[in-house]
Amino acid sequence: MANDVTISLQDVTFTYEGDVVALRDLNLTVHKGEFVVVLGANGAGKSTLCYLLSGIVPHIYGGRRLGYVSVAGLDPWDEPLYVTSQRCGMLMQDPEVQLFMPTLKAELAFGPANLGMPRDEIIRRSQAALALVRLEGLEEHNPRDLSGGQKQRAALAAVLTMNPRVLVLDEPTSQLDPLGRWEVVEAIERLKQKGDLTIVMTTHETEEILRLADQVLVLERGETVLQGTPSEVFTQAGRLEESGVKTPALILVQSKLLKRETGRPGGERIDLTLSEVACQTRESVEAGRLAVHPEALPPPQPVTSDGPVILEARDLTVEYPGPPPVVALRDVNVQIRQGEFVGIVGQNGSGKSTLVKCFVGLLRPRKGEVLFRGESIRKLSVGEIARRVGLVLQNPDYQLFTASCDDEIRFGLRNVGMPAEEMEQRAKEALRLVRLSEEADLFPFRLSFGDRRKLAVAATMALDPEVLIMDEPTTAQDHRGRYQLAELARRFHEEKQGTVLMITHDVDLIACYAHRLIVLYDGQVLLDGPTAEVFAQVEELERSFVVPPVAAQLATELAPLGVPPHVMTLEELYQVIAPQHEGGEVV
Amino acid sequence: MQPVFRYTHLDTPIHRLHPLVKLAYVLLTLVLVMYPIKEGDMPVLLLWLGFSAVLWAVARVELRRFTTLLKILTGTFIFLIVIQGFTYRGGDTPLIVLGHLKLWEADLGVITKEGVWFGLVLCVRILVATSSLPLFVMTTPTSAIMTAMGKLRIPQTATFMLVSALSFTTLIFEMWSSIVDAQKLRAFDIDSMNFVERAIKAYVPIITPLILLLFRKANDFQIAMETKGFGAPIEPTEIETLTARLADYLWLAFIIAVFVLCTVLKFT
Repeated sequence: MANDVTISLQDVTFTYEGDVVALRDLNLTVHKGEFVVVLGANGAGKSTLCYLLSGIVPHIYGGRRLGYVSVAGLDPWDEPLYVTSQRCGMLMQDPEVQLFMPTLKAELAFGPANLGMPRDEIIRRSQAALALVRLEGLEEHNPRDLSGGQKQRAALAAVLTMNPRVLVLDEPTSQLDPLGRWEVVEAIERLKQKGDLTIVMTTHETEEILRLADQVLVLERGETVLQGTPSEVFTQAGRLEESGVKTPALILVQSKLLKRETGRPGGERIDLTLSEVACQTRESVEAGRLAVHPEALPPPQPVTSDGPVILEARDLTVEYPGPPPVVALRDVNVQIRQGEFVGIVGQNGSGKSTLVKCFVGLLRPRKGEVLFRGESIRKLSVGEIARRVGLVLQNPDYQLFTASCDDEIRFGLRNVGMPAEEMEQRAKEALRLVRLSEEADLFPFRLSFGDRRKLAVAATMALDPEVLIMDEPTTAQDHRGRYQLAELARRFHEEKQGTVLMITHDVDLIACYAHRLIVLYDGQVLLDGPTAEVFAQVEELERSFVVPPVAAQLATELAPLGVPPHVMTLEELYQVIAPQHEGGEVV
Repeated sequence: MQPVFRYTHLDTPIHRLHPLVKLAYVLLTLVLVMYPIKEGDMPVLLLWLGFSAVLWAVARVELRRFTTLLKILTGTFIFLIVIQGFTYRGGDTPLIVLGHLKLWEADLGVITKEGVWFGLVLCVRILVATSSLPLFVMTTPTSAIMTAMGKLRIPQTATFMLVSALSFTTLIFEMWSSIVDAQKLRAFDIDSMNFVERAIKAYVPIITPLILLLFRKANDFQIAMETKGFGAPIEPTEIETLTARLADYLWLAFIIAVFVLCTVLKFT
């Protein structure tokens, strides 16, 4: 076994230029064919580890390294990148920056051609890689025209043509929609099944990698806090939570409801399916170990349909010019009432961002109109719209324009002509809200990714809009950061009686916050209604590749036991199904 | 705004044309605009511009792309016309008299007809120069550009620098548009500002994040390329094979003929 060690890290500490310690005393041994998953919050050191393995540090990002590193028999520190890249290939988060050739065929050939491989060998490798990622037939397509999942698979195929022994995947699914994620994970699964590649993958999506991982490493501020088999790591939910890592929902259910009461050996398993957990729960209820209390969770209040309509899309059709032209929205009619918290879900390209961009006047529809409190937004100036409807875009980096966090908040306030005294007060309040008061004078781009996003939210909220729209605040965000952003929206909704629209792919998160859910599919509204009712329409949801939250799926499976269909979150599930003492008393 | 430099995958005679023929067209265009310029060059420049317009039409490149180019150049054109209007040495016919301020041979208080005309000639010259390269890159795949450059013995690094710069222009357009949108969301609308307002207060908040983001993207781009062996001290394999057809020779002859005609018209 010792001979087939492919990756060996011993007491590795890495410090970036500027004395930022990114990894500290790291030890990792990976054997040939193993699949290692690296978890941790944003800034934990996951990407640095990927860079270290693939030779990107020190060859592109400089720094100081201590300790021993061996990857597929060489030390990436000592070899030029083109040598390391033949042993260790790396796939990054953003597929866009990894695809630069005009056709997929040229993209795949780029790497081996740079190494002077014979033409026939390049073609052979390209075909094999395309087959592995299932993109055959798209050789002549421009990679930029592919869907998100296809782009990332194309980028993966381009890495595979380098014929590496080690594959490093740095959050390969974090910028994709559910279908794209599924496609990429399926491709990775096929690579693992081949057995000859050693794979290291970082991710925030713990559910995705449960069936793949042989070893899990959890990092926190560059240090290892948990390391072991998936069973050893994922059964420590409390420690994972502290590190900002999401414990897969089924493991949490098992740990909270089943393992504690039953003590059965199955309680240690982590690769459970939903049906298995439902079956175990049913057995426990029948055996009297668990009790169902439907009355503990009253039906949710109906969506506030009596508030005035604040935003309305009327017969909205939007077309993007081509070639070829793309119809992004077709005759969409949506009414948003004051005080609602609305979730918007759907595949990438379904029209979610287009719809909200119409709500703030960034896009002009080909047909139809958008009304704010019954008045066409065409009549409103940019400043008037900004004071009424705030939209936080997906990428915070496009939304930060000034030299300090404090000035960033003032930027919008100044544009709407706010008096200096009020501006001062609002800037302080906004920074306090997102806990960035201490960083008021800091250059925004020096903040962490999560904090940059919070600053963008604060700058929007400082304008005191009546409607707050968040466009995919969960993308590339760690578990803890997602909920911090959603909490900001909740506070705006509850404390200021504001109206919130949130676009996301995170169904567990949206189930916790949104009262109403709109599902868009192919530029049209597929479903629209109270969140629980929408999540209950499983077949319709399947069309748009939206999977209901785990708690809702379990509630559906356990409906015959009296579990109400409006259970959406794990907390609600624990309210309804609770362990029972032998005497019948509910714990 | 539509990116000017993005390759459009179509099947037109210009797309099928050998990259070296298209490169010859670009080079001849540059030679034409390098000729010493004079007031009477307008017909020659318009002839070549018309020829370029025909090529754009045959290549089925959308006019919208050209509009983008014009938008970018409008400020420069206005500046040139005004400056030449006031300062052109050969200006004799007053068009607008604002006063009299003699500086050497020019009267800076007077806009002259000849000055405005010369400004227009300069504008057309810039248009001619800037319309050829977009046509080349919008109708030629990057891999074909690289192979063609390779045939001319241009080092791979230099070629890739050109190709990367071209892909960055697309990226810059996308980023610019995203930043402008984000600023509108905070009540800052560059689109509603005039040229002077933009220069004074709009460009800094756009260019600051743009440059920072470009540095970041450039890093990612470098990682993606270098981890695929770019820059290895190895002779790269030529993947794209370029073969010249009869049509390529005919087009080349046609382009050269138009160039010779322009040259003759210019110097006679």
